[in-house]
Amino acid sequence: MPQLLLNGVVTGLLLSLPALALSLSFGVLRFANYAIGSYLTCGAYLVYLFNVMFGWPLWLAATFGAFALAALVVAVDWLAYRPLRNRSGVTLLVASMGVAIALENVVRLFAGNSPRSFDVPVARPLRFGDLRLNYEQLTILITVLAALAVVWIVFRLTRLGRAMRAVADNPDLAAVRGISRGRVVVSVWIICGVLTALAGVLVGLDTNIEPQMGWNYLLPVFTAAILGGIASPMAAVAGALTLGIAEELATLVMPPHYRMIVAFLIMATLLLVRPWGLFGTRWVTR
Amino acid sequence: MTVYLIATLTLVAITALAGLALNLQWGMGGLVNFGLFGFYMLGAYLCGLLTVQGVPPLVSLVAAMIGVALLSALVSLISVRLSEDYLAIVTLGFAECLRLFISYEEWLTRGTFGVAGIERPFQGLVPAQLSDTVFLAFTLTVMALVYVALQALAGSPFGRLVRATRDDPAVVEALGKSVLTVRFKVFAVGGAILGLAGGLHAFYYTYIDPTQFGPIITAYAFMAVVIGGRGSNRGVLASAFTLILILEGSRFLVDLVPHLGSSELAAIRLILVGGGLVLLLIVKPNGFGKEPRSAEAKIRSSDMS
Repeated sequence: MPQLLLNGVVTGLLLSLPALALSLSFGVLRFANYAIGSYLTCGAYLVYLFNVMFGWPLWLAATFGAFALAALVVAVDWLAYRPLRNRSGVTLLVASMGVAIALENVVRLFAGNSPRSFDVPVARPLRFGDLRLNYEQLTILITVLAALAVVWIVFRLTRLGRAMRAVADNPDLAAVRGISRGRVVVSVWIICGVLTALAGVLVGLDTNIEPQMGWNYLLPVFTAAILGGIASPMAAVAGALTLGIAEELATLVMPPHYRMIVAFLIMATLLLVRPWGLFGTRWVTR
Repeated sequence: MTVYLIATLTLVAITALAGLALNLQWGMGGLVNFGLFGFYMLGAYLCGLLTVQGVPPLVSLVAAMIGVALLSALVSLISVRLSEDYLAIVTLGFAECLRLFISYEEWLTRGTFGVAGIERPFQGLVPAQLSDTVFLAFTLTVMALVYVALQALAGSPFGRLVRATRDDPAVVEALGKSVLTVRFKVFAVGGAILGLAGGLHAFYYTYIDPTQFGPIITAYAFMAVVIGGRGSNRGVLASAFTLILILEGSRFLVDLVPHLGSSELAAIRLILVGGGLVLLLIVKPNGFGKEPRSAEAKIRSSDMS
């Protein structure tokens, strides 16, 4: 049981980075970006490129990969989302699905369909009494907590963070006060790119790198973000942890390959009962 | 060559059916159904499994339509308290879960082994070498019937109501119509058509397994609607029989172009579909077809835009 809880926390932390990214971009741009799964895949493959093809150590490859993905995400925004910004949210949804399909298949075209893994040494799991902690899980734990701390500091203590919150709260008022929406949007996409690339690396360490990896995380990530109340970024982390633990505990009664069904059931129940999220405040949803 | 043509035309007609269903849900109703492939898959499995149990094919087809219509309407109720944006993730989640369920519940669906030996309608009545041609004729007839029915629906008061809920749900509510009921009905009718398309898919291949169904089916349907013009059934048919025909036809390039494997070609095709979707939404958001409009809408259209 404690082992399941520990695994659940690690799974939840893994989900929290893309969930945070999704909810940040939703807060500022008011549309749910379905391409986030493909961003995760692209991030993992970019890091794989630096790590295995160029032979760099993983931390260096991950750093470069994160910024490469951030550049890609900003480029996608320029090419695809910016021209559609004044249209309805539904149009942007469909466009983001188009982006998702195109990006995933760019990966398939260049890297093929077979699964790959990073060039990292295999290590024995650490033991604390009855608890087992894989080396990968430890990496996830440290990386995610560090990333979350940085995002929290940026969000709460810097001018940029204040601008981001202002735009998310009321774009018109923010514009009147002289906050440039364009710059805030670019910053949000950069943060999204970095967070999703990190998540891609961690998922790749945890399982495999394959073109479908991001797609498989799409539903859990959305569920986590909705659990937190989709417009409140930090609550998305709490949502992700809740979902991670729920998914692990559900393996007691359901086969592990049905994790996605657990996520869906949680989401369906939540949408019916508490659509503003477990931790979110009640805001206009209709 | 004729064999290729018949095969491609049948697939295009089935895709056109999925496009028509999406055109009702998204084109006319503004409801984003990213889980389209799940309903299509459900139709294929209901139809296939019933047929191999000995149920006559046409009866299975009708059962698949009814089954998918019911489930699809129920799924639309999950987002009963929310704006229609949430339907996108709810339907996608449903479709992915359904795919998992079908892949793992071998006692029911034979899992990844797939269901083989699905009998086509009229199989005993026509000679084997004409089977594909007869089936193409059947598919085209079904497609034509659905088209006529949807055109009638689009011109009816209900069609007007559906378009009104897309353009402004608040006004519809204020006029005393229930947006939810509209959503429910649109998902039921769309689900029935998707069940029909899925059933035809099962009949055409006579073998189904979970790998045949994926978000690609959804992407094709969206492509057909975006090009055809949201709300225009005629446009959807036209785009299916031009662009989708070209995309499907490009499979034969594998034999003609050296160093091009079928998986690379599939990836290129989907990059074009995904990129094309975004490009069209940017440069030609209303597509190439026209939505049939009421006389009043024509008068008001000048100050609407």
